Amino acid sequence: MEEQGEDKAYRWEGDYEKTWEALKEDETGSLQASIEAEINKAKKRRLQQRQRNVRLGMMRHLYVVVDLSQAMCDQDLKPNRAVAVLKALEIFSEKFFDQNPISQLGFVSTCAKRAEVLSDMSGSLQKHIKVLQDLGQKIIKTNAKHCTGEPSLQNSLELCAKSLKHMPSHTSKEILVVMGSLTTCDPGSIHDTITQIAKQSIRCSVIGLSAEVHICKYLAKSTKGTFGIILDESHFADLLTDHVPPPAEISPESSLIKMGFPHHVSPHESGKISLCMSRNTFTVGGYFCPQCQAKYSELPVQCVICALTLVSAPHLARSYHHFFPLPMFKEQEVPVGSLTCYSCCKPITTATYVCEQCAISFCMDCNAFIHETLHSCPGCIISTNHVHTTTNGVV
Amino acid sequence: MANEEERQLLVVIFDVNPVWWGIKSLQGQAQITKCLDCLLVFVNSYLMLRHDNKLAIIASHSTKSVFLYPAQESNQSPDPSKASTSDQAGGDCRYEHFAKVDDSVTDKFKELMRDGCEKNDIRRDSLIAGSMAIALCYIHRMQIESHGNTKLNARILVIKAADDAASQYMSFMNVIFAAQKERVVVDACILGQDSGLLQQACDMTSGMYLKVPHQDAFLQYLLTAFLTEAELRKESLVLAQSSRPREVDYRAACFCHRSLVDIGFVCSVCLSIFCQFSPICSTCETAFKPPVQASKSRKKRRALPANGT
Repeated sequence: MEEQGEDKAYRWEGDYEKTWEALKEDETGSLQASIEAEINKAKKRRLQQRQRNVRLGMMRHLYVVVDLSQAMCDQDLKPNRAVAVLKALEIFSEKFFDQNPISQLGFVSTCAKRAEVLSDMSGSLQKHIKVLQDLGQKIIKTNAKHCTGEPSLQNSLELCAKSLKHMPSHTSKEILVVMGSLTTCDPGSIHDTITQIAKQSIRCSVIGLSAEVHICKYLAKSTKGTFGIILDESHFADLLTDHVPPPAEISPESSLIKMGFPHHVSPHESGKISLCMSRNTFTVGGYFCPQCQAKYSELPVQCVICALTLVSAPHLARSYHHFFPLPMFKEQEVPVGSLTCYSCCKPITTATYVCEQCAISFCMDCNAFIHETLHSCPGCIISTNHVHTTTNGVV
Repeated sequence: MANEEERQLLVVIFDVNPVWWGIKSLQGQAQITKCLDCLLVFVNSYLMLRHDNKLAIIASHSTKSVFLYPAQESNQSPDPSKASTSDQAGGDCRYEHFAKVDDSVTDKFKELMRDGCEKNDIRRDSLIAGSMAIALCYIHRMQIESHGNTKLNARILVIKAADDAASQYMSFMNVIFAAQKERVVVDACILGQDSGLLQQACDMTSGMYLKVPHQDAFLQYLLTAFLTEAELRKESLVLAQSSRPREVDYRAACFCHRSLVDIGFVCSVCLSIFCQFSPICSTCETAFKPPVQASKSRKKRRALPANGT
């Protein structure tokens, strides 16, 4: 079920929703057009929810707590809930590091009334994917033999909070709990833990797989997170994707972070061998920390010797589009004479989308592509040179 | 060669900045018509490799980006049979596909040059970022249209003449990230000065960056370096070595002096880079706490009582 406020009624208390009337057949009896219209409406709704002029938490430290208890052996998600969740988390990690290149991710699992760390907090995508894949394989092979017992929400929250306490205050600290069970077995009072977490300004969100549990909803509300219950696999993917873009910043701390931009030496240039700190072997070529000259094979990374964050300029540039979100294009009817899309030269048949800054029309596919992947309007880039106004072209 | 289920799509972006080409032709160093002929020969060779190779050519002017091929029929309803018979009316013995491409490119190019531009629009830089954005939209459309049947390997070849424009940095980076996500390879053939932006683009999308030393041999460089598709380049001894540029400078420029920095200070709110500590961020006007030493001693003092208890 969707998230509901305290004063809204539950679904069964409301009137009948005649959802079958939303789908309409066209002349040939095909439902394709109305299905596409529904999909586009959902996409538009999701894009419009992004607030503007809100401070965003760009450097994020996110812990994902995965419930691996008895309830995850249930087969309502194929092949069983645990494997489906791990696969969805792999895709989520890729999207997360794509949109937040300077952030870090960690995984914690909980089962048999205990919580343990699956994968430490780090910025390396490969490491996390490997851990998730190995765990998925193990569960499939052993037929989920060790997914037993009950999860412990308090233990996992305390484990994450203990680790997040040491993070610098200017980062955005978050916990995402994927809960499949309806129970939790805790050693103490979970309300104390929740107050402690709220005091540390850690934002907790919960995604439930079975039904709404009051304590999860209370946790999400007290820490200003979100709470959702999934309807099916694609809805689960959607709820996970909602956590990919940076959230609105809740803690007011901000500071200047010292960062290094290391110089890359390619293996062809110098044949000298040196110790690579990220792989613990001797390699040729890599990135040298400007402060202590330690070598690393990939960026972004935190130098283990001098604790300097090492990034490259494209990593920061990847996050810039969050600051200048592209406004939605206005939807208009197709004029009488046929029109071709400016960017892909396709004749437009369904609806045309006009950018308000440069007054250029695009077709529906280009509109989706521009807003989801490109984040810049081609018309504005071209007319920026023409008119010298600041849109998405000038820093 | 390529797998049976894969198809190729090549989008060529040709920089036709009038200022740069005008200066070069006055100095007697390069002629745009000669380069256009070389480009047409290269494009014909590409089309000869496989019958289903797809092509698009975009001309990047200082004020607009125009598709030279395929020609846009904006005011008429598309009627392929009529168009092709009129092309064949000449009766010359050219292969029909080549004739279509050559005629479309020369006609649209003449139209572009004839339109000219006004006095205020004369600039030294070209709209490469805008043309690449349009190329990506076109590639995206082609991918949708061939979805399910065949896999489409797309690449963009940028033939750049004019210099870089610093104002296009943001849109250029957005375009490069989109190309990375769509797995589009960006190659660059530079006629003028080295371009840092295109070096980064080629490095991030694993494409080839080539600065042409002798313009007379332009066609030879095109045919040797850019005819093979991206996946096969590692099989060639010559191309594999030169496909990665020597040193790509990924250092950032500080916002206050525009100088490259090794170690910089980054505002946690707006991610602007400064070369030295300043109490207020000039971009987002956030106030910052005093430098790191003070907070380190505070942390030490806080840690000691915890260890004691």
